[in-house]
Amino acid sequence: MANFMQDSVVKYACSCGILNPISKLFFCRHCPKLRCGFCVCHEVDSNFCSNCLENIPSSEARNKKNCCANCFNCPCCHHTLSARATTVVVQKKPEEGAKDGDGAAGADAKPDPSKVITKKMYYLSCLACRWTSRDVGIPDQSVATGSWPDNECAYQTRFNALAEYYQAVVQQDKQERQEYLRRKTPKTHKFPSLTDRTGLTVSIIRRQMGWSDKNTQKAKPVNIAPAQNTEDVGQLPESIFTQKINLRNITTVKQRHNQPCEQPFTINKLYPQRRGLWIKRSLRCRECEHNVIKPEYHPTSVKYRIQLFASYHVPDVLLVKCDQPLKAGEPNAVILKLSNPTLHDMEINIVELPTEEDELKLIEEFKRACTLKDTSLTAATAMDSLKSLTGSPSLTGTASLTNTSLVRQTSILEEPRVVKLKVNSKLQPPEASFILNLRDDSREFDDEPQTTTKSEPEFIVSRKSNKVYLSLKFIPDADLKTGDDVYVGFNMLYTYVNTVTNTPEKKEPTTHVLNCRIYVQVGSIEA
Amino acid sequence: MPPAESNDVKIMNKSIVCEDSTLRGDITISQGCVIHPSASILAEAGPIILGENCIVEEYATIAYRLTEEQKRQKEEGNLEPCPPLVVGSNNVFEVGCIVEAQKIGDKNVFECKCYVGPEVVVTNGCVVGAAVSLKCKQVLPESTVIYGRDCQQREAIDKYAYQTLQIDFLRKVLPNYHHLRKPNQDPKRTRSVV
Repeated sequence: MANFMQDSVVKYACSCGILNPISKLFFCRHCPKLRCGFCVCHEVDSNFCSNCLENIPSSEARNKKNCCANCFNCPCCHHTLSARATTVVVQKKPEEGAKDGDGAAGADAKPDPSKVITKKMYYLSCLACRWTSRDVGIPDQSVATGSWPDNECAYQTRFNALAEYYQAVVQQDKQERQEYLRRKTPKTHKFPSLTDRTGLTVSIIRRQMGWSDKNTQKAKPVNIAPAQNTEDVGQLPESIFTQKINLRNITTVKQRHNQPCEQPFTINKLYPQRRGLWIKRSLRCRECEHNVIKPEYHPTSVKYRIQLFASYHVPDVLLVKCDQPLKAGEPNAVILKLSNPTLHDMEINIVELPTEEDELKLIEEFKRACTLKDTSLTAATAMDSLKSLTGSPSLTGTASLTNTSLVRQTSILEEPRVVKLKVNSKLQPPEASFILNLRDDSREFDDEPQTTTKSEPEFIVSRKSNKVYLSLKFIPDADLKTGDDVYVGFNMLYTYVNTVTNTPEKKEPTTHVLNCRIYVQVGSIEA
Repeated sequence: MPPAESNDVKIMNKSIVCEDSTLRGDITISQGCVIHPSASILAEAGPIILGENCIVEEYATIAYRLTEEQKRQKEEGNLEPCPPLVVGSNNVFEVGCIVEAQKIGDKNVFECKCYVGPEVVVTNGCVVGAAVSLKCKQVLPESTVIYGRDCQQREAIDKYAYQTLQIDFLRKVLPNYHHLRKPNQDPKRTRSVV
């Protein structure tokens, strides 16, 4: 976990070709391949407020513009505002109703206790910068949550009109595209559909159901008044040239961006902002469409239902030290610590990285495999997109229905790329493979030290439970200059025991030999 | 540090001064102050006069230090006595703050772990935020609030909230768990004597 927060010197090449530390990688058990945040599908699982931890359904969240109804952020420093209570003395006589503004100290003189009742009033206050809702003249509220006024901005009606207009435009666009697609798609499908068998077409069904033949409710966008440009922007006030500006009364750029609809110029127009919602997201492998990460639904829980982090499945490589000071062209060695996070022994073989041609060839092969997969799915995806447009799967035939399990989402596969980092040293790979013992948490409680029975290869420095310290020889390139970073790369082949079975017939775990490319920044050339 | 004999701590009545606090030099603690255990007040250069109803929390340090120049002068033996550092009333020094300010007015709050350097003048109603460090020579205008990592400033518009409730609570609770230094001055009596 040493590399959890900071950039690590050991990087793994994801199957898409992007380098990442192991803490940022995932491992799809079904593929089985490394995946990074860039080449998985991100899906929003649930919306919640990070302050009150209330779970908000997505439709409601959209309604509330992805903001929490109860929590506010400070407009001044963007921290969470907290409601503070004060006791306020209210005169019993209704016509007198005058409230004493500041009762915080409780030091108000009470002329007659029988005539006076105290009432709790709330105001919002920021604990970081001591901003309060009283600063901008928001009256105190009698309930702590829910009753805070929304600050309507001056352009609200114009904004609503524009939003309505463009929604209508989108609607129209959708309908036209749908019409076009319906004309474009061939009448006979590759797959037999239910309507084919019954000899009914969609339009006939519609007519039988008493619906009109076409979608008559064509959304016509209402015309809006276009924005007009003006020449007259007004002159700067005279005082700006003569008087000193008090910067404390002027908002910062950050404060203005935080309040985008008004972008106030002075601090007396800063209003509490509703707190934005957070999401829990699940990650899905784009190749096999299995979940890689799935969090528990409840906002208060930090656990996962599915968590396929790479550090649970792939041997973790740590740089321990470099044997000698790094000199260009001189043989050197690094001590690496490999640890096995799985419950099965691993056989590890370290070989040289593929050359660039090999890499390109691999990518080419992968692309071909993808296109094959794509063509088999295009018919289904076309139907599926049609379905998503119409929103009524029953009307578009069964072809899409039979395939919905395959095309959950038309995910775009991330094209693999060549690893950008160039290795600038020559690896001398060890000649033999070795075993990395399984992780056994109870082993560290054993009293007697393990006795190594079989002789170890000479490149293994030491061994302790599931960890192996090995020394890897390399020669930095001769043309490196002083201060240049030296990168060592190798291909690590490891055996991985997959305990999940994709097919129901095969029950016993299968063993794969997987490889991952690892790049280690060893250090810089010494003077 | 001046030797212990030179300590001259005057504690007015109705103030709570815990015995575990470090008080060095000529210090006057006015009525109604609360000094927590392991707070320190170091009057190295000259006397410190703490105003009424101040709270000095744990590990807070109020220091009146000699400058380098003054140190040299002191070694030579020709140091003129410094004017007293007067701390106003109703100030709060929160946990772990270090305040070496030149002048401190009334109703200021020094939040946790803040540092106020010797060339700073603090006026009234200021709030120095948590972990804010003020080192340069400056005068904080009235009711300045300094907060955040970037030490942003703003002007507090709301009135200062008095710490009366907190002081009353501390006055009740602290004697139950800590040994106190006895008040050795009574302003009424001294007045009657004079």
